[in-house]
Amino acid sequence: MTRLVGRRLLIGLVTIWGVVSAVFVVIRLAPGDQATVALGPDATQEQLTALRHALGLDQPVLVQYLDYLGDVLTLDFGESYRYGRPAMDVVFGRFPATVTLTVTAALIAICCGLVLGVLAGRRPGSLVDRAVSTVALGLQAIPPFWVGIMFILVFALQLRLFPSAGGGTLGHLVLPAVTLAIPFTALVARITRGAVAETMTESFVRTARSKGLTETQVLGGHVLKNSLIPVVTVVGLQLGTLVGGAVVIETVFAWPGLGSMLVNAVENRDFALVQAATVLIAVCVIVLNLAADVVNARLDPRIRLEARR
Amino acid sequence: MRVRLVAAALAVLMAASACSLGDSSSPSGDGGGDGGGGGVLDVAGPIPIENLDPHGAASMDAGTQVASRAIFSQLVISTGPGEFTGELAEKWTSNEDASEWTITLRQGVKYSDGSAVTAKDVVASFERVLAEAGPLAGNFEGYTVAAPAEDTVVFTAGAPDAAFLGKISSFFVTPATAGEDGFFDKPVGSGPFTVESFEPGQDLKLVPNPEYWDGAPTLDALVFRSIPEVSARMTALRTGEVDVTWTMPDDQITQLEADEAITVETVPGPGVFTMWFNSSTPSLTTPEVRRALRQAVDFDAIVKSLYPKTGTVADAPVSPAVFGYAAQEPVEHDPAAAKAALDAAGFDYDTVLRFQFSQPNFREFVQAVVSDLAEIGVRAEPLEKEQAVFLEDLLALKWDLNFQQLGSQGFDAATNLGRLYPCAAKRTGYCNPKLDELVAAAGATSDTAEREDLYAQATEIIWDDAVGMYAMFVEQPYAWRDTVQGFEPSAEATPYFTKVTVSGD
Repeated sequence: MTRLVGRRLLIGLVTIWGVVSAVFVVIRLAPGDQATVALGPDATQEQLTALRHALGLDQPVLVQYLDYLGDVLTLDFGESYRYGRPAMDVVFGRFPATVTLTVTAALIAICCGLVLGVLAGRRPGSLVDRAVSTVALGLQAIPPFWVGIMFILVFALQLRLFPSAGGGTLGHLVLPAVTLAIPFTALVARITRGAVAETMTESFVRTARSKGLTETQVLGGHVLKNSLIPVVTVVGLQLGTLVGGAVVIETVFAWPGLGSMLVNAVENRDFALVQAATVLIAVCVIVLNLAADVVNARLDPRIRLEARR
Repeated sequence: MRVRLVAAALAVLMAASACSLGDSSSPSGDGGGDGGGGGVLDVAGPIPIENLDPHGAASMDAGTQVASRAIFSQLVISTGPGEFTGELAEKWTSNEDASEWTITLRQGVKYSDGSAVTAKDVVASFERVLAEAGPLAGNFEGYTVAAPAEDTVVFTAGAPDAAFLGKISSFFVTPATAGEDGFFDKPVGSGPFTVESFEPGQDLKLVPNPEYWDGAPTLDALVFRSIPEVSARMTALRTGEVDVTWTMPDDQITQLEADEAITVETVPGPGVFTMWFNSSTPSLTTPEVRRALRQAVDFDAIVKSLYPKTGTVADAPVSPAVFGYAAQEPVEHDPAAAKAALDAAGFDYDTVLRFQFSQPNFREFVQAVVSDLAEIGVRAEPLEKEQAVFLEDLLALKWDLNFQQLGSQGFDAATNLGRLYPCAAKRTGYCNPKLDELVAAAGATSDTAEREDLYAQATEIIWDDAVGMYAMFVEQPYAWRDTVQGFEPSAEATPYFTKVTVSGD
């Protein structure tokens, strides 16, 4: 297990370096000058030159890159010119809200998706299975921003059950978290359904039944554990996209997370902020994938054995 | 075991929620409280407040300007075309060519920490603006400042600058210690409110400043909330989560007007939908061609159709809310005459005009103009660009038609006609030495009547030579709930909240 984690960590570090470098290159390749955006169209040439110098943009790109890598190694992402404070401070100010939203959505999706998937997968072809599969497919197809707007109209504007925008209380969390969870729930349900249906045909399930175990014991003790491996893999991979989906949902509900801040930072060519936010998101996705690998290894001895070779 | 794990995860999550959300929670319930008894006002403008520093990179951001008006003090406030009222300034004078401005400060004004506002603070603040070299500093190139007496500040311009008062109305005075690290996390100011908490880009909570020279506001608290998405902002107003908002599209205004609990009002603003021609584009060099293109577009129909609530067809390059406005003869929509004029001028119909703009809300307007031009065989290609790219191409003149909403800072034509149209500005490819003389003269005299006359002459040249198509004067819409009293919309979309109160919903 230690070898597995060590290998994955090493790959993770290389991936982070790749992300750090890619972000550096892409944002500098993007057309549009940071100094012009910062100072507006009325800035004099002297002012533009002075700002470019202050931001280090007048240095050769390789020098900028090496400086940047050195700073990243010491966790110094520079100062956001828009916010006038260290970029990582701004990012960490928004990060808890995004984590709260995505983790809540993930928990809702995993709980609901697992239950629905097991209910559907235990009797493939049954009415419940067809209903769950159809609804799950439909929910995955509906754009989340539309669902969000409908939720606002019904639950905030008409019924006045929840606030429509912002991040003041737990009440603010309900609508965006459920909106974000819906397509993820459908995905988890579909994966679980497929895995459970397949496991139900395995010989060890027949053996368990022939030993006289109840259906609940068979499902909980044998089927579910063996069905979880593909579910954990997909959940681990999809948590990253959940963070991406949060960008849209945060905008619809004015949720004070990283999403809208990152979009504005790109528009304003706030290099420091874009770099800090992207690297943090990349680290999160890598850690989540690592966690998924570890959980899978715990669930499946074959993966542990593979890692030892 | 699994149940315990899930329970533990939920507990951690709830704790995280409490940590991340609890601090930013806005006060609940209006009315009451320990403050002035005027209630809690929740405000959501169109632009998030990301930075409270009114001197640096965000100095001209709408969010920073709105917040600064509540926290800090200006020397003068612009109240209309050529009209100013003193805030920290008790009186002001200029020399004859408007190159030296002497401000006498109001006595007894204090910051929220009880210390006095001094002439040295004004000097330090202005010097900080220049040193930070942000967008505000661009207005004061070549300026110096001095404090010859305890209550006197003298601004000296590198060249005559009659629009000084308009420009300085965006300048805020802070303590001389404003340059210290962390000052703007919870700044001290001499404005009507003081900062209780600030989450950049999220929430700004202010409470009345008991030291405010004009009497502390009666509100218990003023909370700025960030809801950039317009329909979410409108919904928040309708549900009562927000009390005041402004800047919304016309279709949303219709919905808000149908709500009995909401008041909607529009005020004339300084904005003008401006479509410059690039006069250095070979096919657009002659005024005859530019005039013909303008004649081909039915702005009356477009404005009535797209902006029935907030638009009126423009008859000048600056709006009636701006000093220097001079109405011109409207151009009749006449496609046949336009086509004939283009034919006579030998216009090359194979040319595809690059029509650039940067904001999605201009898309329909641009498309309508393109359609009208197509009616007479003129081809224009709409190019929607990201703001950074748009600005770069704008300055490089990489366009043939350019759509922008242009304002006039400080309600003075000097910051529009005087800034954008001289040859040296290189903004439109248009160059006319006579126009240069007029706007330079208008900027170099403190005689108001003379300035008005000079800007009228300049406007006539710009209009007749069709430097651009001046499509629409933009009115600024505001909406507030009926529980709000004393709110006065401002033409600049930067309202004050000093006199506002909120009654219980």
